[in-house]
Amino acid sequence: MLDTLLLILIALPFIAGFICLALKNHSARAVVVVLVSIVLMITSVVLLGQGNFEYTLGGQWNTLITYLDFALLAYIAFQAFYHRKYHSLFAYSAVIFAIASIVMVYYFDFVMAHGIEVEPTFFADQLSIIMVLIISIVGSLICIFGIPYMKDHEHHLHLEITRQPRFFLYLVLFLGAMNGLVLANNIVWLLFFWEITTLCSFMLIGHDKTEIATVNALRAISMNMLGGVGFTAGVMILFSNAHTLSLIDIINSNHAPSLLILPLSLMVFAGLTKAAQVPFQSWLLGAMVAPTPVSALLHSSTMVKAGVYLIVRLAPAYADTWLSTMVAILGGLTFVITSALAVGQSNGKKVLAYSTIANLGLIIACAGINTPLAYAGAIFLIIFHAVSKALLFLCVGTIEHGIGSRDIEDMHGLVDKMPLTAVISVIGMLTMFLPPFGMLIGKWTAMEAASVLPIVLLLMILGSAITIVFWVRWAGILMSTSSKPVKRVIENIAFLTKTPLVVLAALAIILNVIIFQVYNLMISPLAKVYYTKAADTFTQVGNGALVNTVGSFTLWPIFATVIVVILFSIYAVGKAKNSVVTAPYMCGETADNDEDRPRFRAIADGWVDYSHSNYYLNRVFGEEVLTNGSNIISIIAILVMFIVAYMGL
Amino acid sequence: MVVLAIVLGPIIGGLLTGIDRKITARLQGRFGPPIMQPFYDVFKLLGKEKFINNKVQIVYVITYLFFAMLSFVLFVLGQDLIAIIFVLTVGGGAMVMGALSVRSPYSQIGSQREILQMLAYDPLLIITAVAMFMVTGSFKVAEIVNYQIHNNTPLLYVLPLVFIVLIEVLSIKMRKSPFDISAGQHAHQEIVRGVHTEFSGPYLALIEVAHWYELMLALGFVAIFFASNWYIAATLVIVMYLLEIILDNTTARLTWKWMLKSAWGFGIVLCAVNIIALYFI
Repeated sequence: MLDTLLLILIALPFIAGFICLALKNHSARAVVVVLVSIVLMITSVVLLGQGNFEYTLGGQWNTLITYLDFALLAYIAFQAFYHRKYHSLFAYSAVIFAIASIVMVYYFDFVMAHGIEVEPTFFADQLSIIMVLIISIVGSLICIFGIPYMKDHEHHLHLEITRQPRFFLYLVLFLGAMNGLVLANNIVWLLFFWEITTLCSFMLIGHDKTEIATVNALRAISMNMLGGVGFTAGVMILFSNAHTLSLIDIINSNHAPSLLILPLSLMVFAGLTKAAQVPFQSWLLGAMVAPTPVSALLHSSTMVKAGVYLIVRLAPAYADTWLSTMVAILGGLTFVITSALAVGQSNGKKVLAYSTIANLGLIIACAGINTPLAYAGAIFLIIFHAVSKALLFLCVGTIEHGIGSRDIEDMHGLVDKMPLTAVISVIGMLTMFLPPFGMLIGKWTAMEAASVLPIVLLLMILGSAITIVFWVRWAGILMSTSSKPVKRVIENIAFLTKTPLVVLAALAIILNVIIFQVYNLMISPLAKVYYTKAADTFTQVGNGALVNTVGSFTLWPIFATVIVVILFSIYAVGKAKNSVVTAPYMCGETADNDEDRPRFRAIADGWVDYSHSNYYLNRVFGEEVLTNGSNIISIIAILVMFIVAYMGL
Repeated sequence: MVVLAIVLGPIIGGLLTGIDRKITARLQGRFGPPIMQPFYDVFKLLGKEKFINNKVQIVYVITYLFFAMLSFVLFVLGQDLIAIIFVLTVGGGAMVMGALSVRSPYSQIGSQREILQMLAYDPLLIITAVAMFMVTGSFKVAEIVNYQIHNNTPLLYVLPLVFIVLIEVLSIKMRKSPFDISAGQHAHQEIVRGVHTEFSGPYLALIEVAHWYELMLALGFVAIFFASNWYIAATLVIVMYLLEIILDNTTARLTWKWMLKSAWGFGIVLCAVNIIALYFI
């Protein structure tokens, strides 16, 4: 049973990916992708029923992984070298990092740790299972969304020969690699899957083969390979210090912390690069040149989530150290900096990208606070962020295909043109920052957990206030509407586009209703296992409230108020049928003219137009203003992290 | 308790607004309306014909009203301060989205400025809650009050600087001069009535009532700085309220940049100094 599940979750996407590569027929490929997606979703739910497990594979598998790792790294080096003319610095650095990795892996596998058996090869606790569910459900929905999207996308590009087979190879394979990554116990295996995700992201970001796409892909691979080198070095030091390669062994703190801290800091560093934390944010921002399904996948269920998964997974091993404090500060810094950067952007995808990095920073800050309460907050954020952010990216993709722009200023009055997409987008945005939705519960949990570390708490408070700015105004703009009566018609979008949107929107809401069950079933056991000493945690979760030792969040009155608001609104809107609809106030004469927007009456009875837009406050929140300084601050913080780790603090 | 809060909240809030208008008038050399005038206004607005720009506006007004009510009720029930502030955000956000839903230059600009007001006060309000937590060990209003009664030490004595910051927070939240940037009671021609421009009749009445709940919540924040003695707390609230009115009438409106700088700079530094000082007391 278990081996079948693992086979489906990890190996099936690989096989299906190559089938996609071989299939030249669009419909056949669509069928394969949909089938695999459905199988993955069902299997992940079965795995949830199966519960925690450990599973060991024989030694020959380890050898196979070793050789595949060499092949993979060599292929990465080749790909980077092949594209060197686009950006020589990124390309050559990636080649150097890849070759360095090969040398290190060779030395490690054949000299240091030759023939070492790690038991078990795979293991799953609730965290792994949550990750598998996110990857398999959210990731699969994105793959399904990709089918009609890519057809449209290539139609716009006027391609002679379709490149979709290659696209779906990496898209589907990504899910298998991620499942392997979150289920691996043997760190060498984890590292192998880690490098596969690096390769997949490179291929997908550069998919369109334009110059900018290739440059950004090279940027991504060079930064991620740097993380990979750090990871490999971490594994080597870990083995020489503690003679273990088993994740379970490390996080159950069977070793003296002083032996673990340096390798852990290197692995955290790898996590920071993969999670695109400042100063590595540029690769994820560059990644948005890729087709929207890629952005959605990278930002929600794969890639960046691998980075935070590693940091959160290892958190119990570095609890109560200075390393942990530095991790919290780094996460908090990224949260504030990238939230502020998001305020200055009018490009919708860029706002989403900065918000992703910010939320990952918040998750990492939770890992650094490293108490059971913070751990719970981190997992809340991982779950709810994956669903809402995937939804938002797919929405922006749909909007872009609908109105031909991803600029927020062009989305005024979207509710009149694309009512369904607009409403679903607004649901996505509200679930990102308002109660009673899970992201806010996560943020609240994080803040109350951070009360032990005031500096991080301050960063969280500032970041959280800034996020409100860009979500409120974007959501407001989507729902702005003409005062002329409009007949709204639900827009005509493909079934395979609509289904993932509706399912994700439903998930974003339903998950909030079952948040207590999610906590009791999946999160609470984790905190009990990994934090045996620390006391502060939720004392009660259920009966509509979350209670911890310093505060409580009673959710049922909010749900009740939401219901009251909905009922009253239906009543009031119904009663407003006969009320007079007027044009906006234009300072004197009510400008009731034929245009769909109001104008001023000016000299000689002429009409004068006006324009309005959001405040983007570029002199305060612009990229030019903030990026350099914040990169320097973060680099210093990372150096301090390494110093405290080197000193074994 | 809940019913009491829902009923008495706006009554006291309305009365206070009436007093505000009277004092303001006297300061400006006018006779001023009767104290009950805010209630007359609301009842009159409720009876007016409904003029709307679009139907979505109605939903936002209702959301604003009920979430303002909820945040006040949660406060009276002694709930978690951070949770209350988050609930308050829903109302504020609904107001902004309502103003953004109409393509009118005045409400569009008003909403952008309102967002900046939220950005200015929201972190300070949470830091105030954190400072209270640092002293009392709890984020819950009930525990914060109990702590002061048990130890007979009002928070004002240990958090004086945070209290000063709270004065600014309330000015911003209540859109009082010099922070009446997004909408003002006074006549500011260039933004008309800011976020409120496009609301009229019964809907404007509901906004007014919601505002009273928010006023009560804001004054509640002031009151729990002296929870060891409710008479002094009441006096503190009255003094604070008068101070806000005088400030409102003696200062000129400032720019959003100045507001953000003073809130994030001055406000955060004062709070930080106060919180750090706690470790040495």
